[in-house]
Amino acid sequence: MSEEILRVEGLSKWFGGLQAVKDVSFSMHRGEILGLIGPNGAGKTTAFNMIAGFLKPSAGSVHFAGRDMTGRKPWDVCKAGVARTFQLSKPFGDMTVIDNLMVGGFARHTDRSRNRDRALEVADFLGLGPLVETEAQNLTAFDRRRLELARALCTEPELLLMDEVVAGATPSEAEEMVKLVRKVRDRGVSILIVEHVMKVIMSLSDRVIVFDHGELIAEGEPAAVVSRPEVLKAYFGENHDIPGA
Amino acid sequence: MDAFILSYAVVNGLLQGAIYGGVALGLSLIFGVLRVVNFAHGSFLMLSLYISFWCWSLFGMDPYLSALITVPVMFALGYMVQSVVIAPLIRRESAMVVEPLSALLLTAGVFLVMDNMALMAFGPDVRALQGAYYIPTIFIGGIPISGQRLIGALAAFVVALGISYWLRHSDMGRAIRATAQNRDAASMSGINVPAVYAVTFGIGCSILGLFGALISPFLPISPSIGLAFGIKSFVVVVLGGLGSISGAIVGGIVIGVFEAVASQFVTATSASIGSLVLFILILVFRPQGIMGRA
Amino acid sequence: MNRFAALDKTPQARGLRLTQTHVLLVIVAGLAFVPLVVTDSFTLHSIIMILFFAYMATSWNLVCGYVGQLSLGHAMFNGVGGYVSVLMFTQLGLSPWLGMLFGGLLAMVLAVLIGLPTFRLKGPYFTLTMIAFAEIVRIWVENTNDFAGIPLKGAEGLIVPNRGDDFWAFQFSGKVPYYYIILTFLALALAATAWMERSKLGFCLKAIRGDRDAAEALGVNPTRYTSIAFALSAFMTAIGGSFYAQFFRYINPERSMGLELSIDMAVMAIIGGQGTVLGPLLGAAILTPIAELARGAFGGGLLGLHLVVYGFALMACVLYFPKGAIDPLRKIFRKIAGGGAK
Repeated sequence: MSEEILRVEGLSKWFGGLQAVKDVSFSMHRGEILGLIGPNGAGKTTAFNMIAGFLKPSAGSVHFAGRDMTGRKPWDVCKAGVARTFQLSKPFGDMTVIDNLMVGGFARHTDRSRNRDRALEVADFLGLGPLVETEAQNLTAFDRRRLELARALCTEPELLLMDEVVAGATPSEAEEMVKLVRKVRDRGVSILIVEHVMKVIMSLSDRVIVFDHGELIAEGEPAAVVSRPEVLKAYFGENHDIPGA
Repeated sequence: MDAFILSYAVVNGLLQGAIYGGVALGLSLIFGVLRVVNFAHGSFLMLSLYISFWCWSLFGMDPYLSALITVPVMFALGYMVQSVVIAPLIRRESAMVVEPLSALLLTAGVFLVMDNMALMAFGPDVRALQGAYYIPTIFIGGIPISGQRLIGALAAFVVALGISYWLRHSDMGRAIRATAQNRDAASMSGINVPAVYAVTFGIGCSILGLFGALISPFLPISPSIGLAFGIKSFVVVVLGGLGSISGAIVGGIVIGVFEAVASQFVTATSASIGSLVLFILILVFRPQGIMGRA
Repeated sequence: MNRFAALDKTPQARGLRLTQTHVLLVIVAGLAFVPLVVTDSFTLHSIIMILFFAYMATSWNLVCGYVGQLSLGHAMFNGVGGYVSVLMFTQLGLSPWLGMLFGGLLAMVLAVLIGLPTFRLKGPYFTLTMIAFAEIVRIWVENTNDFAGIPLKGAEGLIVPNRGDDFWAFQFSGKVPYYYIILTFLALALAATAWMERSKLGFCLKAIRGDRDAAEALGVNPTRYTSIAFALSAFMTAIGGSFYAQFFRYINPERSMGLELSIDMAVMAIIGGQGTVLGPLLGAAILTPIAELARGAFGGGLLGLHLVVYGFALMACVLYFPKGAIDPLRKIFRKIAGGGAK
């Protein structure tokens, strides 16, 4: 296997008396797309936010490319080479698309014109080219997602954390988003993706990990993992038909 | 420190504090329902103080009796400010990004207009209803208690209880509480949200009409008194928890007693600086206030 | 890729970018000729006040307009600047030109100390906190005659002793030198804003205003960038306070650190267009003449008239021109200047 880019060890989070994430460990390889799935309330987003620096872990550690990033602030995590997107896209509404993207560029470089060229290139890469001078608040919901992804790419990440990429998208939009994510990976960015929609995860991920009640219950190739009884039980309860199998 | 003087300070602080609380009630009510920080809050008090003053000075009207004028006038004015000035913003915001600062700016505009119109009309002179009223000072355990302040303090409790009861048990009160919790859901359940907002704003201001009448006999009146009471009300309401009725009274009493007792040890200036410091500390460390839920 | 990279270099795009700078230069150059035309001392005084408020609103805008935090406490920085430069002049004989730098530095330190715990407060909470800080400073100065041997003279205020025409004492017999000084300050403040808008700092601030979480995820440390901008803004405001003190040769706590001044600064920037380079200048150009006319025409007889107008203007602006008076102008301007860009 190639070099390890992310290692999560014994990650836990308590909210008062409730343990949302229980002693979770996993790792990711460079260039990999790792899917993180699980039913609602399984602790996916909590784990995600701890890796991205938006929540402080109660216990455990997060290592990125060998560097300890446990409990570091979001901006430090970003500068270390980890970018994220949000489940509900958060554009800077009164700024144009190009200016939105340039904010990402400034995380690495202070040279304005270099950032602008780079942002234009990323915009074009993700199909936002014709929209660069549009104010972000006037974008369609799907273009906002594109913008979110493009902005994250402008920080020149090695690892991209994506939260629910196709939630609320039409099937054809979902398909396009899957293509975009693949394109991003082909540029050498490793991707950790939290997703509800099984179809998306199955077609995108090289490997998936499954959360239930805050615990990591399964890990492996997508097709193999989803047919495991414990995974089916977590998703569909005791009595189930195997979906699409 | 002499125990007698200290208890005198505490008792006076209690009275003054309850009055602060009563004056702040409307600010808290309006914020709780509309999420609008009414920067012009003190201006409404200033105006009702002037109405009481002129009723007495021109017609010899009993200042307490002038409440019959100030309360409806302030209600009408509040109703109007809400439906003419703030409602268009709320209509616009339901479609666009919500910007609480816009509402603050609008009421800051109302404050500028009201305070400076008063300045133009009445001049900067300080006026007082001297000798207009005399309620004997009573003594409890040897501590003198100003009758007028006692009435003001009691009124604060009565109004706070009355408003709470009314919010809980009347149809309009229920509509107001529903709107405060979720504007859109209330609107879909057939509640006339613009009317609820206007009535709430009107009530919030009419409370100031009442207190204007009640405190006019012992307060020097000038156009800038509104701002002083406005800032005090912000402090009180933030301390008690923005939007909480009981919090306003508790916050008022805490500030009143704090200032009265502190001014026994340090200068009155340091005491009022102290209450502002308290205000900042609360905002920074416990923004939901001492009575608010976390 | 190349198609869009090339867009940057098209003449239209470059023209559009240059026009803002052009407008700035034209305005400043035009203003430089004003004292040659206006010789009446009263009118010149009024124009100096317009430039002063334009400068103050521009300083306010530097942080508040771009981060979207409404500070109604900026007058305290003005007061710090005025008091420090005047006291250093009267007590130590230090030239106000140097004193104003010390005042600016003190204001910067104060801004960072105040900013660190309060920047994360949202909307009205931040506004109320800033009012409280400014009120604390004002009440303290108003009631302190002597602090550690420094004669603050409380509510009475400080008078700058007359030294005649003396550049180092920042005192001039006519009004023209004051005019050019405040014009230079204003030009520098506008240039600083224009520079900031295009720099990393400007992008970070606008991102924080847009969405704090998203900004953090893109490597922006909100506290750090807001503090830098706040400190710059406080420094500039304090310099304005020194100018004001020298121009009137008198300051007191109410005028130089009261709420009214804070409101003036904010209202002018908001009505003109906060978060833009030229908006505050436009706001001051619209509003200050009203105050000056009221002062001149009624000789102080209608105290407060201009503030009534400000109040109505503010309400109208929030309801109908939330982006300020500059917005419609900009649209027209864009049509003329950048018609071919799209």
